[in-house]
Amino acid sequence: MKADVKPKPVIAGQGVDAGEVLLAVQNVSLSFGGVRAIRNVSFDIRKGEIRAIIGPNGAGKTSMLNVINGFYHPQEGVITYKGRQRSAMRPHIAASQGIARTFQNVALFKGMSTLDNIMTGRTLKMRRGLLAHALHFGPAKREEIRHRAAVEHIIDFLEIAHIRKAPVGKLPYGLQKRVELGRALAMEPELLLLDEPMAGMNLEEKQDMSRFILTVRDAFNTTIALIEHDMGVVMDLSDRVVVLDYGQKIADGTPAEVQGNQAVIDAYLGVAH
Amino acid sequence: MVVFGQFLEVLIGGLLAGVLYSLVALGFVLIFKASGVFNFAQGAMVLLAGLALVRSLDFMVARGVPVWAAIVLGLVFAGLIMAISAWLIERFVVGPLVNQDGLTLFMSTIGATFIIEGAAQLIFGSDVYPLRLFPTDAWFLFESAFPGGILVNKLDVWGGLIAGILVTGLAIFFQKTKTGRALRAVADDHAAAQSVGIPISWIWFVVWLVAGLVALVAATVWGTKLGVQFSITFLALKALPVLIIGGFTSVPGAIVGGLLIGAGEKLAEVYLGPFIGGGIEYWFAYVLALAVLLARPQGLFGERIIERI
Amino acid sequence: MLYREAGQFKTTYSADMAIFPIRQDRVALILLLLFAFIGVPVMATFHIWPLGSDYMLRAILIPFLILALAAIGVNILVGYCGQISLGSGAFMAIGAYSAYKFSTGVHLPLAWLGTALAIPPLPVLPSILLGGLMAAVVGILFGIPSLRIKGLYLAVATLAAQFFFDWVFIRVKWFTNYAPSGSVSAPELNFFGLTVNTSIERYLLCLIFVTLFAFVAKNLVRGNLGRQWMAIRDMDIAAELMGIRPFYAKLTAFAVSSFMVGVAGALWAFVYLGAWEPLAFDINRSFQLLFMVIIGGLGSILGSFLGAAFILILPIMLDQVPHAIGVPISVETVSHLVFIVTGALICYLLIVEPHGFAKLWSIGKEKLRLWPYPY
Repeated sequence: MKADVKPKPVIAGQGVDAGEVLLAVQNVSLSFGGVRAIRNVSFDIRKGEIRAIIGPNGAGKTSMLNVINGFYHPQEGVITYKGRQRSAMRPHIAASQGIARTFQNVALFKGMSTLDNIMTGRTLKMRRGLLAHALHFGPAKREEIRHRAAVEHIIDFLEIAHIRKAPVGKLPYGLQKRVELGRALAMEPELLLLDEPMAGMNLEEKQDMSRFILTVRDAFNTTIALIEHDMGVVMDLSDRVVVLDYGQKIADGTPAEVQGNQAVIDAYLGVAH
Repeated sequence: MVVFGQFLEVLIGGLLAGVLYSLVALGFVLIFKASGVFNFAQGAMVLLAGLALVRSLDFMVARGVPVWAAIVLGLVFAGLIMAISAWLIERFVVGPLVNQDGLTLFMSTIGATFIIEGAAQLIFGSDVYPLRLFPTDAWFLFESAFPGGILVNKLDVWGGLIAGILVTGLAIFFQKTKTGRALRAVADDHAAAQSVGIPISWIWFVVWLVAGLVALVAATVWGTKLGVQFSITFLALKALPVLIIGGFTSVPGAIVGGLLIGAGEKLAEVYLGPFIGGGIEYWFAYVLALAVLLARPQGLFGERIIERI
Repeated sequence: MLYREAGQFKTTYSADMAIFPIRQDRVALILLLLFAFIGVPVMATFHIWPLGSDYMLRAILIPFLILALAAIGVNILVGYCGQISLGSGAFMAIGAYSAYKFSTGVHLPLAWLGTALAIPPLPVLPSILLGGLMAAVVGILFGIPSLRIKGLYLAVATLAAQFFFDWVFIRVKWFTNYAPSGSVSAPELNFFGLTVNTSIERYLLCLIFVTLFAFVAKNLVRGNLGRQWMAIRDMDIAAELMGIRPFYAKLTAFAVSSFMVGVAGALWAFVYLGAWEPLAFDINRSFQLLFMVIIGGLGSILGSFLGAAFILILPIMLDQVPHAIGVPISVETVSHLVFIVTGALICYLLIVEPHGFAKLWSIGKEKLRLWPYPY
């Protein structure tokens, strides 16, 4: 068994060319009971870019990610992914179409080791069924080893080899965020959604995380949408930024454009509506 | 007319039996509302309260204490026992598990159930002890309308009255008092409640005490009906489907759920039983609850839960 | 110095993924299996202490093995997949009665189709396995609500299974072949021409079943499927967003768990009890199994064995020890004490060590690995 199987890079142009729109959100509205979390928002994410979604607390950013990966179903609007209009779906189907994500409050599987957590990201790529696993012999074992090799590459890349067998519940926060990124990367996603990947991190950890994000985009050509509060990070990393406030889109453009936008400044400084 | 009379009799008997289920279910709702703990030990607490009451009563009556005084003293004694057990449970079982998830707390109350059942029988004995606090004879109603009238058990009526008084009292306690408000805060989030300075251990003691007293009330009614015995603990299990139908947090829900289950299982036994074999009372409530769950996963009265991540 | 993994370098993923990656563990397991398969029967044959009489095999080791198998099944569902079950007793009953029906021949008149389903009496081994299979099918049926309801609500669904099947096996006489007393007897235990009769043979039969299923369980939980179960247990929403299908993960857990519990039920009835009534599988059995899993360790195969051993030995200890030191206590008092000790231990473990005896064991091993150094 060759150990150095590289995780297969996702090739740009699987149905979508670089720079083309990978995912488009059109006139999406979402409400819970009387609370309108998202109001008539439209924007798109292009293949190979890093797209930031920013806005004050409660602006509907996380809800937006939840809509994109099928966890919430918008009452109105259309989502087009890879050129095809998407109907209401279960989240695991979004996952099987190549959408992976991390969470605002780390959502790791606390009872499992780092290795097992990242291995769960390979679930969709594993084919062997119940009986094969019961014997753990032949094809099932070979499959397990093949995916283990791929996961070990991610572990090396994220520099978490030393905590490979440690239960994730006891890891410091920064490392947990890294394991979570690893778990999402193990899915070899085409679109990676990162919900505040740097929340609660110190400067050094933020630099590490920024480096990982850029490498993921450049080496694997993964499209990334991220929510982040640290403006410095957003300005440095992202190609385009969409700004939400009270569930509405108030600006969309390059970091520089957004930075100078009066509506954005008002939203952040809290001008009365 | 005979057919309708019989139907009415079964229905009323079922509804009144349902009130008794509600009495046990109320104890569950109380603790769940106030601490987020699903208290599996409620049935064991009914047994403990019943045993403490009936044994002290017998002890005093045998020594010549007048019956009315013995009843009062017996109730006080049983109340004290419930207070002690509430303190012990708070101190040694649920107290150390503050901030744990609901399933862990649930399993700890299963542990508490076994401790209480073992201890109660070890201390007070494990026979069947008859209890006579309420009249158990029957009334015959509407004798002019139906031949033979409709048979209604007086004890069931007493049970209904007591349940009504309890519910009113508890509703006032929860909505109007400071302790009641604190209770609701604790149920929502242990950590948050602690951080605004609510003394969680005191609150939990109060809750378990109130639940213990509700158990005592339930024990007086059930004990009169069946005698105080171990099988009373299975009432706790009957209260589970009541809660599923009524919702874990709703006091009126517990009442309605109890009535539905009580009436449903009696009617099913009488009208369905002959076709599929008797004794369906044994599982009817659970299967009914399961059917309700399949239709509405949050129960009939529960609020829809918005899942977040 | 004995328990040290230093110097054992793994050069392949295959070696790192072995069931027991540390050599000393492998040696210990082989020794234990040798003892169980050869040592115990030899000792029993020559009446060597503590196997001087039949009692040890018949009343302790055989029920221990069967309950350990059931506990493994329950642990897969509760400990690995996080779906609480208060109805395991019912699934043991389904295994037992299905095996009984298959071994005595199934005749089900389907009047409305104008025909009848008839299966001739099957040998014991296929009957037991089919018993497990029936339990798995019913397990899946009762698992379906778990897709919509969670936690305590699910516990009620499993209670519904418990009470419903209690009733079915008491009231529906077809399952007991219309035996007037409601009690039925196991067929002759004949496996490929060999008849299992003595306690030693019964013990070996159970041991083979338990060993095989324990390995199957261990393989499942360390593979892809086991990771899906644990992911559902730890954070079901995140698991679904990772592409894990809750439908598949939960129902496989219900199926595998019920299958093992069902086989254990068939063994309990056929090999341990011989003749039984529905009461053998009532709600107390369900609690007993749940307690084994909590005390032994949620999410641990080893823990299932430890928990089964503890729950089985506790009443015997509480009965024997006071007698031995000259304090006679009544049977009733013993049973109350068992209640108290079990309950107290559950509370204690939930507070102090939620992963039960198995965790204490692994902490001990960790210490031993470093001994005599503290770090």
